[in-house]
Amino acid sequence: MPIDRRSIHETPARSPRVCVVIGLVLLTWLVLAGRLVQLQWISRPQLSQLADRQRSMIESIPARPGEIVDRHGRLLATTVTMRSLYVVPTRITEPWQFALKVSESLDVDADQLFERITKNRTKRFLWVHRRLDDEQADGIRDLDLPPHSWGFREEYLRRYPQGKFAAHLLGLRDIDGNGRGGLEQSLGSVIRGQDGRRTLVRDARGRVVDVREDVAEAPRHGRTAVLTIDAVVQLYAERELETVMKEWKPKSACAIVIDPRTCDVLAMASRPTFDPNRPVNVPPAAWKNTAISAIYEPGSTFKPFIVAWGLQKGVIAADSSFDCENGSYRMGRRILHDHHSYGRLSLTDVLVKSSNIGMAKIGERLTNKELFAASVRFGFGRKTGISLPGELQGMLRPLKKWNSYSTGSIPMGQEIAVTPLQLISGIAVLAGDGVLRTPRLVSKTVEHIDAIPEDVPATSFRPTVTSPAIERDIGRWLVEGPLVDVVKRGTGTKARLEDYKVFGKTGTAQKPDPATGKYSSQLHVSSFFCGAPANDPRVLVLIVADEPTVGKTHYGGTVAAPAASRLLHKTLLHLRISPGGKPLREARRP
Amino acid sequence: MFFRFGSAIFLVVLASAAGIALEKRNLELRREVSHQRYQLDVLTDRHAKLRLKTQQLGAPARMLDSLEKGELQIRRPEKSVESQPRRVPLLFWQRSTPTTR
Repeated sequence: MPIDRRSIHETPARSPRVCVVIGLVLLTWLVLAGRLVQLQWISRPQLSQLADRQRSMIESIPARPGEIVDRHGRLLATTVTMRSLYVVPTRITEPWQFALKVSESLDVDADQLFERITKNRTKRFLWVHRRLDDEQADGIRDLDLPPHSWGFREEYLRRYPQGKFAAHLLGLRDIDGNGRGGLEQSLGSVIRGQDGRRTLVRDARGRVVDVREDVAEAPRHGRTAVLTIDAVVQLYAERELETVMKEWKPKSACAIVIDPRTCDVLAMASRPTFDPNRPVNVPPAAWKNTAISAIYEPGSTFKPFIVAWGLQKGVIAADSSFDCENGSYRMGRRILHDHHSYGRLSLTDVLVKSSNIGMAKIGERLTNKELFAASVRFGFGRKTGISLPGELQGMLRPLKKWNSYSTGSIPMGQEIAVTPLQLISGIAVLAGDGVLRTPRLVSKTVEHIDAIPEDVPATSFRPTVTSPAIERDIGRWLVEGPLVDVVKRGTGTKARLEDYKVFGKTGTAQKPDPATGKYSSQLHVSSFFCGAPANDPRVLVLIVADEPTVGKTHYGGTVAAPAASRLLHKTLLHLRISPGGKPLREARRP
Repeated sequence: MFFRFGSAIFLVVLASAAGIALEKRNLELRREVSHQRYQLDVLTDRHAKLRLKTQQLGAPARMLDSLEKGELQIRRPEKSVESQPRRVPLLFWQRSTPTTR
């Protein structure tokens, strides 16, 4: 049979239906391939990121904030763990019943809670009450709330076991654990530590199935700050301030106690105050640490600095005397007055009697340029550098703005405004070794939460900045001579102590009357600084009362001196400083 | 031939078993470390709470008034740091406070 060659080489004709089917299959494959290319190549980065986000979750592990302790390890601030209640609104089927039950156990309004839950129905997390105590947490557990619709999350809570004690120094932490004011703010990074993190792997329903250890990072807990504060001295300061507030009812008051050898702050208290454990309904004035954030004209407490600088510059000598013009002295267009009429006074008596005329004459010898230099040298007009937020730099006008009035005003502590801390730092120059130091509040930071400060490796917090101001002998002469006489027979007799040789200086600065803009005869800042033992000063105390309102005389020697003297005495006894100046333990050494 | 094949299989199985054992041990240790971290956190917190309580109870603000009034008895250390009596000055509240030895 012959073979038809054409029939071998010619393919049979496909029906159009088959062609359509093949075309559709090819198209489908083409679409699928295209989609594959889009998913695997074009959209790959975004999609893998999305998948990663759905699959894994980074959880922060909060670092435990460090403690704050005094120089002997007494606890001033610590952190405890508390439970905070949250709900999952998407899983709550009966919001009103839920809100009602929770309100029975906690101090929350059922209506408000119901409203919050219904408003956030689409959310999966909602805080109800943060930082519950154990009793409240047990109460919630007993409510038998629907499972998976609520939970506890542990959070840190800052506690201050001493209550109002040193509130301005410590500051506080807000609900999110951020430092607000005081050392809590300034030591933020040191105390706060560094949060850790871990990556959790979740299944499709969001349940955690694994913890990826390879990308986990352990938290670094905060360090413990050891302060220079002595809790007992601080308590004495707080109590004396309370006495001043009750007795004289000033607008505000502050007390500072320092060691003049090192400028370590032993106590710093301010009134009005607040309780950092319950910072609610606190009047705005109570937040202010008046020891560093209030400025005032120092008045007569400024006079020793000018005398010291005059001696340093050689324009006056220890045996100089000044004609005090019987209480009235014309200086340019201005007539200066003293409280009493004095004739010729020795340099010592100019300070003892607090003669404005005598000081003005020293000012004339020094001239404005040196008066300005004295103010700068003793650290006025700039921040002391203490590790606290909100410190003011005082007010020292530029020299070019000074005039002939300044020559009379500056030596008696007017035309210049200082913070109490600046003033006591300057006094420490006289009582110490003639060197101006940065006041120190934090002595070191240590790693362990419960370590005894002396026994553990410690890190110095901040180096002390020092700058020589005057010769040591000048300060010594001033302290042991005129300033002792101020307490013995001058304006500060109420600060006398039987056991110790005390030195001091009163200050009664007039404040400007807001109505007239002139110095008021009613508004005063009464202050007094004192220290002991005069031959080797170990403790310096400053008390400042702003606008005392009780009584008619608001002299520093009347308002502040008695409290300062009591505080000084108690501190000396507590520190076991003998009248000779050495602590008893050291004094016995051969 | 069979011996070699058997040995190879045995080695592979042995290596796998060792790997599994190591992995298990690794997991156990990780769990242990995790548990210990948790325990440490719990103990640290308990310690902090107890310390807070003791410091609140022994705070100078709470004790000093009573001490100064002589209302509290002070237990002095058995062995004094100072062999000689203090010359001056004594704390006022110590003068009037009865002591026990």
